[in-house]
Amino acid sequence: MDALAALIGGFGVALQPANLLWGLIGVTLGTLVGVLPGVGPALTVAMLLPLTAKLDPTGALIMFAGIYYGAMFGGSTSTILLNTPGESASIATALEGNKMARNGRAGPALATSAIGSFVAGSIATVALTLVAPVMVAVALKFGPAEYFALMVFAFITLSAVLGASTVRGLTSLFLGLALGLVGIDSQTGAPRFAFGVPELLDGIDVVVLAVGLFAVGEALYVAAYERTSGSVQKMTGSILMSRADWRRSWPAWLRGTAIGFPFGTIPAGGSEIPTFISYATERKLTRHPEEFGNGAIEGVAGPEAANNAAATGVLVPLLTLGIPTSATAAILLGAFQNYGLQPGPLLFDLQKDLVWGLIASLYVGNVILLILNLPLIGIWVRVLAIPRELLYAGILVFATLGAYSLHQSWVDLATLYVFGLLGFAMRRWSIPVGPAVIGLILGPLAETQFRRALSISQGDALVFLTHPISATLLGLTALLLVVPWLARRLK
Amino acid sequence: MRRSGAEIALSIGVVALGAGMGAVTATLPSEGGYAGIGPNFIPAIVAAGTILCGLWLAFEAFTGGWRRQEEERRPFERAPFLWISAGLFAQMALIGTAGFVLSGTALFACVARGFGSRRLARDVAVGLFLTVLVFVFFVKLLNVSLPAGWMPLPL
Repeated sequence: MDALAALIGGFGVALQPANLLWGLIGVTLGTLVGVLPGVGPALTVAMLLPLTAKLDPTGALIMFAGIYYGAMFGGSTSTILLNTPGESASIATALEGNKMARNGRAGPALATSAIGSFVAGSIATVALTLVAPVMVAVALKFGPAEYFALMVFAFITLSAVLGASTVRGLTSLFLGLALGLVGIDSQTGAPRFAFGVPELLDGIDVVVLAVGLFAVGEALYVAAYERTSGSVQKMTGSILMSRADWRRSWPAWLRGTAIGFPFGTIPAGGSEIPTFISYATERKLTRHPEEFGNGAIEGVAGPEAANNAAATGVLVPLLTLGIPTSATAAILLGAFQNYGLQPGPLLFDLQKDLVWGLIASLYVGNVILLILNLPLIGIWVRVLAIPRELLYAGILVFATLGAYSLHQSWVDLATLYVFGLLGFAMRRWSIPVGPAVIGLILGPLAETQFRRALSISQGDALVFLTHPISATLLGLTALLLVVPWLARRLK
Repeated sequence: MRRSGAEIALSIGVVALGAGMGAVTATLPSEGGYAGIGPNFIPAIVAAGTILCGLWLAFEAFTGGWRRQEEERRPFERAPFLWISAGLFAQMALIGTAGFVLSGTALFACVARGFGSRRLARDVAVGLFLTVLVFVFFVKLLNVSLPAGWMPLPL
């Protein structure tokens, strides 16, 4: 059992006092920021990324994994008590969780979501431990052509296939790809689209784009269109779940985990789809169909478990292939790149301690989060009582802080504002922002692989079609684009 | 039939962006060693893709509007939008001279005003408290350098 030995080594890293401390800070900050209404995991991770700029890579990435997990746990609290899902993956939870809170059952709703997240997160981390080495073995067979084909596949599923409109998804993707081209060409050193501005030569940082789109754009949108706020549900009654609650929750947790994890590992946009599938499954299997729509506990337990399992599943392609399959994962990849680390099979070889320390820290983080979210739930509930005007003001202070700390330059603040306007417009006209973030991060990597593949083949473009894996992936991509269009035509 | 001026303008904007990229791409070097393609190849593809997306959006805008848009929305309020923008501009202008704490407090107060707050004294107090806290945490604990400006903190 190589994986087991590696994992034990990983625990040796994760349990060092300093790393334990960074993990604790990470999950606490992640929960604190994630609990803020309207702040989803993507924004939480992006805002807190600059925090880690001066830490050693292992500590920083352990803190980061904590922030990522903490944001997931925190998000469900605000969803249940406020009915303002911070991200689309929480919509299913909002359906039943907020109803439970309105019926005075906020406690059990929060408990089943916290314990369910813990169960799902832990099982999914075990799955990650077992699947990662297998994926690494597969990834070692990948050359530049295969990587390029896989990235094209991810681009198309994430922008064109998922979401309300193919063309708006693609527009967002191309915006991100265009922004990714800004800066010095990694192969030849030629400056591109920098217009002589020194800050642009470094390229556009994912922090500025993500924070601009998610924080500034969101604040402008909410202020202009939704200034009046919803009401916070009081935490009444016991936090404890009854025997019946337990009996109804645990099968839903397990089913949610089984649905969530595989979905996380494929480029399907992270947790949104599996939470809805889990919700539909629970609705179908329940013995209490009359409760659905009025606060059924399975409707919280299942989707929350699916959400967390998918969030862990996302780490499989991210760590083993270096391919982000959601906007949040794209930002996490940016965190690795800040340290000059490129996730992939080589990282498992060269940075064993770092990778396995990170995976081990996920086990630890799950336990800490369970403690943070059950006995200490009262603290997070109080965070929700912060008036909205102060909340958004604070979010923008943090947003600008992150952007400014990149170069100590007001130019980054100006760029941030431009992306804020862009984010406002995208929100207003229903253009998804996720593909833009993924395009910015993954675009330059795809270009590198594309040019590398052509270098190896001496400029023969057929290389993408003669390698079987690459040809299959590109064929699948073409099918995904053509089949829905044909189906609509034939109807 | 619904036709939105904003959607048409945005579609044209996307086409223009792609065209602008194309123009810049034409000035980029094209020699590329063994691969046979240079630093201008992918930009050309992205520019072409952007133009195609813009044309597709324009087609939708002229034939009944962009598909599957959310229609329900309260009317746009200009004042909050401008207050938040003003706060961000104030911070851009001030951060180099006045420092992080004061420019951050100005931003904080403007955004709070944008969200309807009328309690300026409270907003400034909370803003000062938060920015000083963040300043100390970042500079002392995380070694991120931030400008102190006109308000040198005894650190």
